[in-house]
Amino acid sequence: MTEPAAGPSPGARSSPLQGLFTSLREKLRLERGALALREQQLFLFLAVIIGIFSGLAVVLFRISIDEFRLWVLGSGLNPPTARVVLVPALAGLGIALLVMRVFPRVRGSGVNQTKAALYIYDGYIPFNTVIGKFLTCVLAIGSGQSLGPEDPSLQMGAGIASALGWRLRLSREHVRLIAPVGAAAGLAAAFNSPISAVLFVIEEVIGRWSAGVLGAIVLAAVSSVVVERWFLGAEPLFRIPAYHLVHPAELGAYAALGVVGGVASLIFVKLIGYARPRLKALPRWTQYLQPAAAGLLIGVMGLWLPQVMGAGYDYMDQAMHDQFPWRMLALLGAAKILATSLSFVSGTPGGMFAPALFVGAMMGGAVGGLEHHYFPWLTGSGGAYALVGIGTLFAGFLRVPFTSVFMVLEVSGNYSIILPVIISNTIAYVISRRYQPVPLFDMLSRQDGINLPSMEEQREEATLRIEDAMRPPAGPVLDGEELAGVAVAKAEASAQTFFLVRRKNGDWQGITEEDLRQRATDPHARLESILPDSRLPFLHPDQPLEVALRRIGPWPLLPVVHRADFGKLQGVISLADILNTYRKAKEEK
Amino acid sequence: MEPERRCGQCGKAIPWGQVECPFCAERGTFFWSFRRETFLLATLATLLLLFVATGFVARLYHAQEQSLAASWHRRGEAELRAGRANAAIEDFRNALVYARDNTQYRLQLAEALAAAGRVEEARNHLLNLREAEPGNGTVNLELARLAKRQGLVPEALRYFHHAIYGEWDDDPIAHRRQARLELSEFLLRSGMKAEAQAELIALANDLPPDPALHAQVGALLLRAGEYDHAAVLFKQALRLQPNLAEALEGAGETYFEMADYHNAQHYLERAVREDPNAPRASSLLETTEGVLGIDPFQRRLSSQERARRTVRAMKQAVARLESCAASRGIPLAGTSAPTPLQQLWARAQEVQPQVRERVLAREPDRIAPTMDLVFEIERAAEQECGTPQGLDQALLLLARGQGGTRP
Repeated sequence: MTEPAAGPSPGARSSPLQGLFTSLREKLRLERGALALREQQLFLFLAVIIGIFSGLAVVLFRISIDEFRLWVLGSGLNPPTARVVLVPALAGLGIALLVMRVFPRVRGSGVNQTKAALYIYDGYIPFNTVIGKFLTCVLAIGSGQSLGPEDPSLQMGAGIASALGWRLRLSREHVRLIAPVGAAAGLAAAFNSPISAVLFVIEEVIGRWSAGVLGAIVLAAVSSVVVERWFLGAEPLFRIPAYHLVHPAELGAYAALGVVGGVASLIFVKLIGYARPRLKALPRWTQYLQPAAAGLLIGVMGLWLPQVMGAGYDYMDQAMHDQFPWRMLALLGAAKILATSLSFVSGTPGGMFAPALFVGAMMGGAVGGLEHHYFPWLTGSGGAYALVGIGTLFAGFLRVPFTSVFMVLEVSGNYSIILPVIISNTIAYVISRRYQPVPLFDMLSRQDGINLPSMEEQREEATLRIEDAMRPPAGPVLDGEELAGVAVAKAEASAQTFFLVRRKNGDWQGITEEDLRQRATDPHARLESILPDSRLPFLHPDQPLEVALRRIGPWPLLPVVHRADFGKLQGVISLADILNTYRKAKEEK
Repeated sequence: MEPERRCGQCGKAIPWGQVECPFCAERGTFFWSFRRETFLLATLATLLLLFVATGFVARLYHAQEQSLAASWHRRGEAELRAGRANAAIEDFRNALVYARDNTQYRLQLAEALAAAGRVEEARNHLLNLREAEPGNGTVNLELARLAKRQGLVPEALRYFHHAIYGEWDDDPIAHRRQARLELSEFLLRSGMKAEAQAELIALANDLPPDPALHAQVGALLLRAGEYDHAAVLFKQALRLQPNLAEALEGAGETYFEMADYHNAQHYLERAVREDPNAPRASSLLETTEGVLGIDPFQRRLSSQERARRTVRAMKQAVARLESCAASRGIPLAGTSAPTPLQQLWARAQEVQPQVRERVLAREPDRIAPTMDLVFEIERAAEQECGTPQGLDQALLLLARGQGGTRP
């Protein structure tokens, strides 16, 4: 009698499926190391996962805001009086409790917190910030506080990304960049416009075009928008009005819109900049009441102007389709500045993107309507002005000129609108920068006691170049082809102690007078043949000055040569020249 | 702002508001202990679950949106029907919050706005819809109606034509016909008869077998002065429905306008039989009978009867002349520069001895010149004293027909 085999004996027939399963298991066990994702691949894969998570979070966030609004204010555009007055105030009390007791980090701008994660905390954003932001913003925006869902969405995306990045133990470099990747995903889903979100994160959070992170940001933004459109539909934020330039002189009307937008942006930023630190400086117990007080005031405003409550996308849509007379539009723009300032400075969590768009749409519509009233032959519909106006406020208030232009293009899908947008946005941006040197986000971070890098300052910082520091060579430039004796004679005739040598092949070498004298034992030998083997790094005049700092090493002098002819010396540069140039630039500043 | 603190264990900066290093604390948690691959798989599984859950929530959300939109829309329709346009406007606006791109809701909002007298707002809504769908027949027709209401004739005509040649979701032929009917009415009201005739003739060539529609288009052709086409359409309507009162009345009126009083009498009598309370048909019948009763040129009349009618017409005309002159304070005899009425009265006095039944029966050639004088008197009296009634109207109609049924 034979004992039954524990497994299939070599001679026994096993089913093909069993065999396949066994071999697959073996392969997996043996090659687990090979299956592990490499860091860069994981980063890109993670960007997609982050995009999907952020998209889902934003979908749930928006649904929750709407559901809460329905619950507390009803389904009509004009809720009953008692609710309009009481709901924002009561919700404000709840928000204050949550912010003060449970989620202290949800106060403030999500953009700045993402930047802080990038520049200070190695990409770390506590996950309870995501939960806190979700809950408090649902309460705030759903109850009618004049704030928007974009900035919280951005921060939720960043928080989700941070949590995943940390738990997957990404490298320090990648984990730092993961928060902006999530921020782009969150913002893209909230705006339903991936290009603007990518540009915003590059322009305002990261501040540089880095190939390493750009791919991940784009992947995350696109994934989140796909998810958002999957569940909430592909409709843009607004129904876009038709645009056509009636007459070239109409560009003057858009310039006027730029001036109005610039002034409105200034008032908006100044109001926040003035009131926020003063309210924060009040005794701590008042901070429990500030959101409620702001809610009460907004509720009272809402009795006459219900349009200023909440994010206001429906009313922006109406403004873009000439549903309000220009006086009403101007009034709504002004009222929204006041209401949003009240909500934001009271410490109520929520974003200022939607209010900025709202103010821009209303101001734009008002300017368009006014101009159409007095010059009907010159201007098109007020709706087009409202559309341009949203970009104008974005440029003037948030100070992201690049994003502001592309946002209008992306939202409108109309390339022909670019000229009015550029004119209007540039004027608003210039006015805002002239009278408010510190941009909004930098101002907020400085009020919070954090000195985050200012992207605008970085953008506008004058780059010092090598041509600013180089000078003509003081001594002779030796030629590798000449005789060693001649070279020594030249060196002895000069006051310099270090000499540049131009070799026949275009390379450069350097030699001290003492070294030259020691090596020139045969005065008839060619100079090149007695030189040491080391080559001297060279520079070009247009390169940034820090390149010289990195390359100069132990050399007392480096040659600055022509880009098309490396043998052609344009100047020399020493460490002292570099340092002097930096010092001078600082003094001039 | 608290100063930056670094963790003694891992060396990382501790975020503000944190007491302990969150990174080190998290490492101790259950999830942190997972291998990277395991955690990634767990993440993917969570993602899948969240995706499904979000799908479920989103479906409920959209269903709720649709239900709210439909509910506000129903309320709006009820308010509009009850004539409360302002309440309807708010309801339709609320409906649009939940169904932003619903063309029907926006159309009805525009309708409510127009009903509330907020024509400019209504127009803006419609123009927005037109921007999205320039060829939408319904939108163009509504815009045409608004322009019609505002008296903007060229704009109304443009939108009517866009509506006629536009796209319609259901039964485009009927909608286009309706738009052309409205356009024709508008043209007639604006006094643009030639344009209306062109539209109506185009419409008449392509009508379905609907007697009421034939009668309706026939009535418009009648108003446009296209009597031949109108008569054809009324007859077609009567072939489809012989007792259709509107068609009978229309046909009667058409023949009446064509001065074909026999046919007019035929159809008007039938019309009055079908609807004894039809005031227009009764009045026209009365006038027609008056015309036929006084016309001396009708066929198959005896010489005696022709003479009798001529005498009666002359008496009636002279009486009309005298009453008209009296009402205007014009003396009929003895002025050096006689007015037309005075001249006519003098001529009437001159022929009066010959206008006797016996004379006219004996000399029927006198009937025509006598009747010409009668017509001249009636025309002059109409010019001086306005449109007459009764027998004078009948005589005037005979005058317009240059002798009525004169052979």
